[in-house]
Amino acid sequence: MKGILLLAMLVPTAVAQSPAAALFHQHCAACHSARTASGGLNLESLSASVGADRDKWARILKRLEAGEMPPAGRPRPHPAELHRITTWIAGELDRGRTHLKARRLNRVEYNNTVRDLLGVDLRPASDFPQDDSAFGFDNIAESLSVSPLLLEKQMAAAERIARAALFGQDLKPQTTRIEVAIPRRMEITNPVKLTVPAYYSMADYDVTGLSQPGAFHLTHRFPAEGDYVIRVIGAGNRPAGSQDGEITFWIDGRLVQRFPVPEVMMSGFERRPDFWEIRTRLTAGPHEIIAAFPRQFEGLPPRFRGPNPSKKQEPPLPDPTKAFRELPPDAPPGKIEERRLAIARAKDQLANPRFEGLAVMEVEITGPHSPRKGPSPESLRRVLACGHLDGRHQAGCRRLIVGTLAQRAFRRPVTAKEVDRLEALAASTQARGGPFEEGLAVAVQAMLVSPDFLFRLESQGPHALASRLSYFLWSTMPDDELLRRAGDGAIVAANEAPRMLADPRSRALVENFAGQWLEIRRLESVQPDRDRFPDFDEHLRASMIKETELFFENLIREDRSIVDLIDADYTFLNERLARHYGIAGVSGTQFRRVDLKGTRRGGVLAHAGILTASSYATRTSPVLRGKWILENILNAPPPPPPPNVPALDEQAVGSSASLKAQLEQHRINPVCASCHARMDPLGFALENYDAVGAWRTQDGKFAIDARGALPDGRVMEGLGGLRSVLRQDRDAFAACLAEKLMTYALGRGLERADQDAVKEIVARAAAADYRFSSLILGVVNSRPFQQRGGQ
Amino acid sequence: MRVITGKYLPRRTVLRSLGGSIALPFLDAMMPALGRAAQVKPPVRLIFGYVPNGIMMRDWTPKSEGGAFEITRILKPLEAHRQDMLVLTGLAHRTGEGPAGDHARAGGTYLTGVSPKRTTSADVEVGISVDQVAAQVLGNRTRLPSLELGCEATRMVGSCDAGYSCAYVNSMSWRSATSPNPPETNPRSVFERLYGSLDIDTDPAVQARLNANRKSVLDYVRDRTGELARTLAPADRRKIDEYLTAIRDIEKRIARAENENREITPSMEKPAGIPLLFADHVRLMHDLLIVALQADITRISTLIYAKEGSTRSYPELGFSDPHHPLTHHRNNEDWMEKVTRINLHHMEQFAYLIGRMKSIREGDGSLLDHSMVVYGSSISDGNVHAHHNLPVVLLGRGDGSIKPGRHLTYGEKPMTNLYLTLLDRMGVPAEKLGDSSGKLEHLAGV
Repeated sequence: MKGILLLAMLVPTAVAQSPAAALFHQHCAACHSARTASGGLNLESLSASVGADRDKWARILKRLEAGEMPPAGRPRPHPAELHRITTWIAGELDRGRTHLKARRLNRVEYNNTVRDLLGVDLRPASDFPQDDSAFGFDNIAESLSVSPLLLEKQMAAAERIARAALFGQDLKPQTTRIEVAIPRRMEITNPVKLTVPAYYSMADYDVTGLSQPGAFHLTHRFPAEGDYVIRVIGAGNRPAGSQDGEITFWIDGRLVQRFPVPEVMMSGFERRPDFWEIRTRLTAGPHEIIAAFPRQFEGLPPRFRGPNPSKKQEPPLPDPTKAFRELPPDAPPGKIEERRLAIARAKDQLANPRFEGLAVMEVEITGPHSPRKGPSPESLRRVLACGHLDGRHQAGCRRLIVGTLAQRAFRRPVTAKEVDRLEALAASTQARGGPFEEGLAVAVQAMLVSPDFLFRLESQGPHALASRLSYFLWSTMPDDELLRRAGDGAIVAANEAPRMLADPRSRALVENFAGQWLEIRRLESVQPDRDRFPDFDEHLRASMIKETELFFENLIREDRSIVDLIDADYTFLNERLARHYGIAGVSGTQFRRVDLKGTRRGGVLAHAGILTASSYATRTSPVLRGKWILENILNAPPPPPPPNVPALDEQAVGSSASLKAQLEQHRINPVCASCHARMDPLGFALENYDAVGAWRTQDGKFAIDARGALPDGRVMEGLGGLRSVLRQDRDAFAACLAEKLMTYALGRGLERADQDAVKEIVARAAAADYRFSSLILGVVNSRPFQQRGGQ
Repeated sequence: MRVITGKYLPRRTVLRSLGGSIALPFLDAMMPALGRAAQVKPPVRLIFGYVPNGIMMRDWTPKSEGGAFEITRILKPLEAHRQDMLVLTGLAHRTGEGPAGDHARAGGTYLTGVSPKRTTSADVEVGISVDQVAAQVLGNRTRLPSLELGCEATRMVGSCDAGYSCAYVNSMSWRSATSPNPPETNPRSVFERLYGSLDIDTDPAVQARLNANRKSVLDYVRDRTGELARTLAPADRRKIDEYLTAIRDIEKRIARAENENREITPSMEKPAGIPLLFADHVRLMHDLLIVALQADITRISTLIYAKEGSTRSYPELGFSDPHHPLTHHRNNEDWMEKVTRINLHHMEQFAYLIGRMKSIREGDGSLLDHSMVVYGSSISDGNVHAHHNLPVVLLGRGDGSIKPGRHLTYGEKPMTNLYLTLLDRMGVPAEKLGDSSGKLEHLAGV
C-alpha cells in the first residue's frame, strides 16, 4: 500500500494511468526520488512524457534490459513484469519520432563535393566555422546549423570556387604562417646536474633531431602545383666556441636540405632568431614538412659535457661581477640586494652551463610561385558538358552546361524551370558585358550557395539513395556511375558498396569515421604533461596518428575481420613508434607492417594514440580507459557520474597510495560501484601503458597491478586478458561498431526501432567472419538506411 | 600550434567579434564602388614609429635650437622636410631604468610610460599605450580602430632580456595593461586585413559587374530557399528556415554597408609576402600604411622598424655585425660608425614615408599636414642604456595644431607628456598616461 501511496505523490497522472508505468514506479521510485536520486537519476524531475526526456528514458531502458537495475540485493520485478515495463518505455520512445530531412554538408563533405563537382581542390570550407558534433560525429543533421557567418563565408567561397573552375585559380603566392605555440626547447641538458630523460640525454639521444622538442612537424595542404618557399625561423643558439650545428629539412619523409647553424658570438640577450629557407616544387595536396636540428649536443664547448665536444677555443668567459652596473654607495638596500642576486645567478650559470637547444619557432610557407595559369583541364572537362574545351561554344551550349552541372551539383534530376532560372542568371551577367565564361561562373556560384547544393534533402528514390551511399562511404557526392544508375532507377546499394569500398575515396572512412570513432582526430590537440612525459614529441604524435589510420585503412583494403581491431597480431610502425614500443629492427621514418607476436602490443587498444587519447595529461586513468572501452568497443556507455562525486586526489596518486587502491576505495560506495565495477577493471588491464602509451611496470613507487575482475565474474590480467575477454564479447563489439556506422551513415542518433536492424547486421557479419565489408553491406541494406527520409 | 593563412586575426577572434553587425571584407567587396563622398574635413592621424637600441646621439642632436637648427648626419634624410619637423630634445622614459633588462623595459615603456612587470610567463603587465587610448575613443569611426605594423618578422618568446617576457619587445601597442597588440609583419596579411582576402579587380566597370553578379546570386538563393521551405513540411524545414534567416541577415547588412558609401578600392597590388631586403619590406609596410590612412581605414598606427634589442644585421650596408652588440661599442670608433650607419639607414626608410605622406593632397593640404608622426627610440645612448635625453622627432602639423620647423629642448620632461599633448590634439581627453606630469609645451609655438 505504501508503494501506491508514494506513487500517487510522485507520478504525474499521464504516466500513472498506464499499468506498466505504475509497475515501473513501484520498483524504481524509492531509490530514484528527488531526495535519494541514486545514480544521479531523479524520476520526479523526469518529464512524465517519455518523448520529452528521450535520452534519459533511453538510458533507463538500456539499464533495465541489461538486468543491471534494480541492483543486486534489491527486490527485483518478475521477468514478465520487467518485460511489460521495457515494452512500455520502448513503445513510448518510438512514438511520434520524425527525422530531419535537410542535412547540411559539413566542412569535409563540402570540400570534397566541390573537388569532385568542379575539379577545384581549394578546400575553402576549412575556413568555415567548426561544425558541431553529436553522438560522436560531426555529420549529424540536428547539429549542423547555419549562421550568417557561415553563409557569408560560403558566398565568398562560392565566388572563389566558380572563378577558379572557369578562369583558373590565378593563385598569387600566399604566405601561411605557422606559429609554434610554445617553442619546445630543451631546458634540461646537463647530465651531471639534472636527471634527463634517456633519449635526449647527451649520451644516448635521437641524433636525427626528429624527436627532439625543438623539431617541427606539419602536414600542410598545398593549394596547387607550384614552387613554394618554406622558411623556418629558429630560436636559440649554439654557444660561442661551438662547432657548426645543422638544420635539416624533410619533405614527405625524405631529407631534402641541410644548412649549417653557426655559433653565436655573444651570449645572454643575443639569442638571435634566424631563418633558413628552401624553395621547392610541390604537387597540390598534403605534404609532410619536418625541420629538425640533428646532433645538436655535439660540438659544444667541453664545459657543456656533451658528446664529441668542440675542438675550437672557447672565448674567455665574462666576469660575472663586472657584468652588472656598479651602484652608487648610497643606493637603496633593495637595489644592492638585487644586484648581488643577479651576480650570484650569473656565476651559477657559468659554473653549470645549460645548452637550451635549438628550436623551430615559426614556419612560413609562401607560394605557389609560377603555378599553372588558367583553368585546369580537369575543371574544364567537368564543367563544359558540351565538350568545347577550346571555348568555341555553340548555341545551346550554355543551357547544356548549366543543366548538366545543376544535376550533378544537386545530385538529382533538375526541372526545366530550374535550368531556366540558372541560365537567366548566366545571361544577365553577359548582358552586363561579362564574357560567356563569367556567365557560367555566376550560375555555378548560385548553385554553390543554393540550398539544393548545401543541403542533402533526404527523400525516397534512387538519387537520394545514391547520395546516402556516397556521403557514407566517400564523404562526397555520387560519381557519374552512381548518378547514371540512379537515373536509370536501377541502383542497388549492395551492388554498389563493394566497388565504392575498393575506390580510393573510401579513405574518407578512415579520416572521418575512424578519425572520430577512435578519436584519432583528438590526438592532434592532446598535450601530455611535458615534465612527466618528456618522451612525447611532435614526431611521436604524428606517428601515433598514422599508426591507427594505417591500421584501419588496411582493414578496409584487405577486408579483414573487425576482430583485428581488438585482437590483431600486427600493426604499422616507423622507427619512432617502434622505439616507443620497445620493438627492435624498425628503422627510418617510413611506416611498414610489423608482426607483433611476442611483443606487448596487439589491437588498437594498445595503440599509443588510443592509450594517450584516453588518459589525462598527467596520468593514466583506468576510469577513462574503461569508459572509453565501454563506449567505443562494448557499446555500453555508462551514465555521467552523479554530482558531488569526490575527485581523485591527483597529488596523492603514486605517492601516498597506488591509484588502484584509491579507486577501490571509491568503489566501496554502492552508488559509484554500480558503474565503476564495469569500468575500472577494463582500464586496469591497460595500466602497464602510461599516459602516452609507453610500457611501464611501476606507477610512481608502486608496482603496476594489471588485474581486474568484471561484475560477471570473469577475471583478467593485462592486455592479454583484456583481449581474450573482448574476443569472447565480439558480438557486443560488432554491435557497437554497427551502431557507430549506422549513426554516421544516417546522420542521426539511433533509436529503439533501429535495434532490429543492428541485430541483423551483427548476425550477418558473424556469418561472414566479421569481415569489414559485411558490416558495411549490412548498414546499406538495412531498413533505416534504405528508407531514410521516407517513412 | 596556430596556423594563420593570409589573415591577421585567428578565426576565433573574428567569430567572437562578429556580433552580427560588423561588415566583413566580403561584404565590403559587395559595396558599390562609388566615388568618395563629398569633400569632408580630413581627419587627424596619429602614428608612432620605433627604432631600437638607441641612437648615436652625437650624430643626431642639433647643436642649435629654434628654427635655425642645423641638420645633423642622421637627420639628413629628413632635410627636405625640415619645415614639417620638430626635433624634441630632453624627453625621457625614466620608467625604463632599473637593473638588468633595459631593452625589455625600453620596449615596454615606450608608448605606455609604465615599467613592465618582470616575468617570463603569461602574466605580462605594463600599461595601456597611447595609440590605444586614442583608438578606444576614435576607433569606432574607422573600419580598423588601429593598425599595428612591424618590420622584424621573427617573434621571440619566453625570456628576452634578463627575466623579462619577449612580449615587451614584440609589441609596443597595448590594448590594456595585460594585452599586447602584436604587430603584423607580413605585408600580404596587412593587405588582406585592409581589403579582405578576395582578389578584387581594380577596373571599376568589372567591379560593378561583379557586385551586380553577387546580388543576383543572392536574389536567386533567397527565392530558391523560400520556395524550398514552402515545399517541406513545417517539421522538416527547420534547417532551411535557419538558412533563410541567414540570407536575410546578410541582405540587411549589405543595405547598411551601402548606406555608408565607403570607398574600398585598393590602390595597390596585393603583396606576396615578406621581402628579404629590409628596405623593400619597410617600403611595402609604408605603402600599406599610406593606403590605410588615405582610404580612412584607420587613423592610428604603430610601426616597429626593428624590435628593441634587435640583433638584425644589415649586410646591404657592407657589414654584417648584428645591431645590438654594435651599440655596446665601448667608444670603439669603428663600431660607433657602424651604429650611425644603421641609424641613418632606418631614417632613410622613414623619410620615404614622410615624403609620400607629403605628396598626397587632402583637403586644404597634404596627408602629412593632417597627421602627427612620432619617430624615435626609448633609449638614447645604447652603450650605457640611457633612458633619458631620448631621440625624438615629430613630423606633421596635426591639422594646424603644431608649428613644426624647430628644434625644441626641454630641461627634462617625461615622454608621456608629449603623448598627452598629442592625444589632446586628436580630441581625445586624457589626464594621465603612465608617468606623465602634464602636457608638453611649445609644440604650437613658443
